[in-house]
Amino acid sequence: MTARVTIGSDAKGDCRISIEAASELKVDIQAKAAQLVAGGIQVVAESALKRFGNPPVCVTVEDFGALDYVLHARLETALSQFTGSSAEPIGGNDLRTEAQADFPRRSRLYAPGNNPRLLAGIEVHGADCVLLDLEDSVPIPEKAAARSLVKHLLVSIPFPQEVWVRVNPLDAGGDEDIREVLQGRPHGVCLPKAESSRDIEQLSKRLDDVEAEFGMERGFTKVMAILETAKGILHAEQIAASDARLVMLAFGAEDFTRDLGALRSHASLLFARSQLVAAAKAAGIQASDTVYANLADAEGLLKECELARELGFDGKGAINPRQLVAIHRAFSPSEEEIAYARRVVAAAEEAAVAGSGAIALDGRMVDRPVLERAQRVIKYGRQLGLGGDAA
Amino acid sequence: MKNAIGREIPERIGSRDVRLYEGAFAVQNDGCKAARPQKFTPQQEDKLLPSIEAALEATDLTDGMTISFHHCFRNGDLVINQVLDACARKGLKDLRLFPTALFPIHAGVTNYIEAGMVTRIEGSMNGPVGAFVSQGGQLKEPAVLRSHGARWRAIEAGDVEIDVAFIAAPQADAYGNATGIRGKTPCGPISFSAVDAQYARHTVIMTNDLAPYPVYPMDIQQGWADYVVQVEEIGDPENIASGTLQLTKSPTRLLIAQLTTDAVVNSGYFVDGFSFQGGAGGISLAATKYLGDEMEKAGIVGSFGMGGGTKMLVDLLHRGLIRAILDGQAFDLDAIRSLREDAAHVMIDPGFYANYDSRGCATYKLDAAFLGATEVDLGFNVNVNTHSDGVLLHGIGGHQDVAAGAAMTMITIPTLRGRIPVIVDSVTTVTTPGEVIDVIVTERGIAVNPRREDLKGRFIAAGLPVRSLEDIKAEVDELVQPVARPVFGDEIIAAIEWRDGTVLDVVRKVEGFE
Repeated sequence: MTARVTIGSDAKGDCRISIEAASELKVDIQAKAAQLVAGGIQVVAESALKRFGNPPVCVTVEDFGALDYVLHARLETALSQFTGSSAEPIGGNDLRTEAQADFPRRSRLYAPGNNPRLLAGIEVHGADCVLLDLEDSVPIPEKAAARSLVKHLLVSIPFPQEVWVRVNPLDAGGDEDIREVLQGRPHGVCLPKAESSRDIEQLSKRLDDVEAEFGMERGFTKVMAILETAKGILHAEQIAASDARLVMLAFGAEDFTRDLGALRSHASLLFARSQLVAAAKAAGIQASDTVYANLADAEGLLKECELARELGFDGKGAINPRQLVAIHRAFSPSEEEIAYARRVVAAAEEAAVAGSGAIALDGRMVDRPVLERAQRVIKYGRQLGLGGDAA
Repeated sequence: MKNAIGREIPERIGSRDVRLYEGAFAVQNDGCKAARPQKFTPQQEDKLLPSIEAALEATDLTDGMTISFHHCFRNGDLVINQVLDACARKGLKDLRLFPTALFPIHAGVTNYIEAGMVTRIEGSMNGPVGAFVSQGGQLKEPAVLRSHGARWRAIEAGDVEIDVAFIAAPQADAYGNATGIRGKTPCGPISFSAVDAQYARHTVIMTNDLAPYPVYPMDIQQGWADYVVQVEEIGDPENIASGTLQLTKSPTRLLIAQLTTDAVVNSGYFVDGFSFQGGAGGISLAATKYLGDEMEKAGIVGSFGMGGGTKMLVDLLHRGLIRAILDGQAFDLDAIRSLREDAAHVMIDPGFYANYDSRGCATYKLDAAFLGATEVDLGFNVNVNTHSDGVLLHGIGGHQDVAAGAAMTMITIPTLRGRIPVIVDSVTTVTTPGEVIDVIVTERGIAVNPRREDLKGRFIAAGLPVRSLEDIKAEVDELVQPVARPVFGDEIIAAIEWRDGTVLDVVRKVEGFE
């Protein structure tokens, strides 16, 4: 046992938990409006302590507006550090259902995994995927705390959209990340700095093992690979075809330009983007563009979204909920596209009824790829509830 | 006795008989207004007095009297403290304090309450004075809280008789004309005090910038002013905006502002000539900005925006998106500058704004308004006065006036403050009754008052996330263990008046928590 452990912070939405050895179990609660909230905090603390067998410790909770899942997570991290043991896994198989591989993912909204203030309400902004980050946004000393926080968040919040976790590389904490966060049954995990099919296969193997341990359906957890190195881009084709769990390749421009020694511009990224899109589409999976880091520049975001869509991307990363409107606008089929697609499909149906092999619309022949694209647009529109034909 | 919204109200509160709240527009007061004192001025008169002490002498201020103030310097006000200090030096007792509002800078009032110099307060108490009074047993009579419009009405009706009105004036001439928008330390219109100046037995102008006759615009007119006192300091305009005028970066608050804007745009009111009022909170400011962008996009020119004037509102005027600003108080220095420079930025007083006993209120001309709350309940009732712990911490401001007047009143709130849910079964204190609240906008969805099926239909047709309050509340209650509720005793700390002078609710002393 350590002499004293302190976890958490005094940031808004967080709490600070200190644990010391004591002759008997004691909980001390300090909070603003304590007469209103102390009782509730006590209930959470007792349930966390029970998971560790009610050890003889003095727990001090300083609350700065932490929600229950934040308190649970901080208490768990502190108790597990203090006692050197871990509690039984939590969660359950009824948390969420398996993701559809081809569900439209126009946006993936990043949220830093150890920041309760920015995690609070992350599910209300309408992102297609929420991506809880354990990698770059979490300093190394906070990795364990972040893991626990993301796990408890996943267990507590019934996300109305897909929720994913960006884990660390497997040899840099990713193994532990996966065992923790799969308890919260995310739709998928996102692997940063993917450079070869081997990276994905290893991840998939690890997911097999942990899914089996928790009694989850094998293959439940989908994978998104982030390509953000020169090697990753050059191996895009083998990565895209590597594993059935893989549903999307995402591009990371910041790390990529650094790796290349390039300046970030449309021209310097064009090869990588095109290569990534071609690899993804050849493998029948989705492609998502890099994030746009300049929050203040709404014009720039819109322009980059349009360029990405032109190249064939299906969506884009967002670092702030305010970017979602522009991203969704750019990556949704327009009313006109949906209307045209409906006419193409109707013409095909007419041709089928008439027993004609050739499909004609407005005096022009419609060939197979055009019809397939039209069918995709209609399905996509329906999945997104667009075009007055909600799913 | 229970009033029309089911709140238990005693027949008498302190020494006053109570009229029970009957409904937002149920009462028609048809008596006559109180008389104003007749005054006389010799042809040659010098109204200048050398000091506050001299003013206390000249006005015959004695024990048991009522003194009034405005709050236009907000937390930068230095006049109330100076006058009270002078009263203390004179050994006065048992005064009734009748400010438009008190702020944390007036925390010293609590010492004068303990010393028996201030024994009654009628006016908003923001911060420490409210918390102090909430302990109970401090004042001889329960405090009375009124909206801006209701305070004006109460003076005109003779409900409150003012002995001496002390009016902080950023610029005044020696004959008593005074303005708030010029001078060394402008604070925005001081028209809040226009009614005090006309009805008080004595009116004392206090200025730190004595200027040649005539000072204009005449927020306060010479004919109402008895004395003028020059002092070193009256207030710090840098503190007008303390704690309010920050553009929020919170994604949650920005989402609420966006949903608010989307709701306005799809309400049916968003056409040429549209009018609105937003407050000075972060959500309101952001919504004002977004709304301006939508007006520009749609090519809509609004008829007016109503203040508290802010930089955001002034920007809309300068961009040609609204034809006028009607402004009773300034929340930042940009608004004050615009009041001086823009003819279409019009100074109004609280009587014009919202006097119930009159033939017109500017708030009745509002299409949309967005307001805040500390709590809302399932009956759409709103609390802005107390927190969930029952402690009196905020004034009413224009909340009731705007909510009653606007065609569509929207309450914009995050669903949680720390661990404390904002949507509750029944609000701790009713500041504004649910019958005048149309829409509640949260980051988790938009709830529409069942009285407004028309709005609900429009919002749903526009694809906005319309949900029931019960539904939103249930989702939020999952995130935190239930909070304790205060247990109230019998002692009444304060009465909440409705705009017409009836009693809407009372604040009782908190005895404990359960």
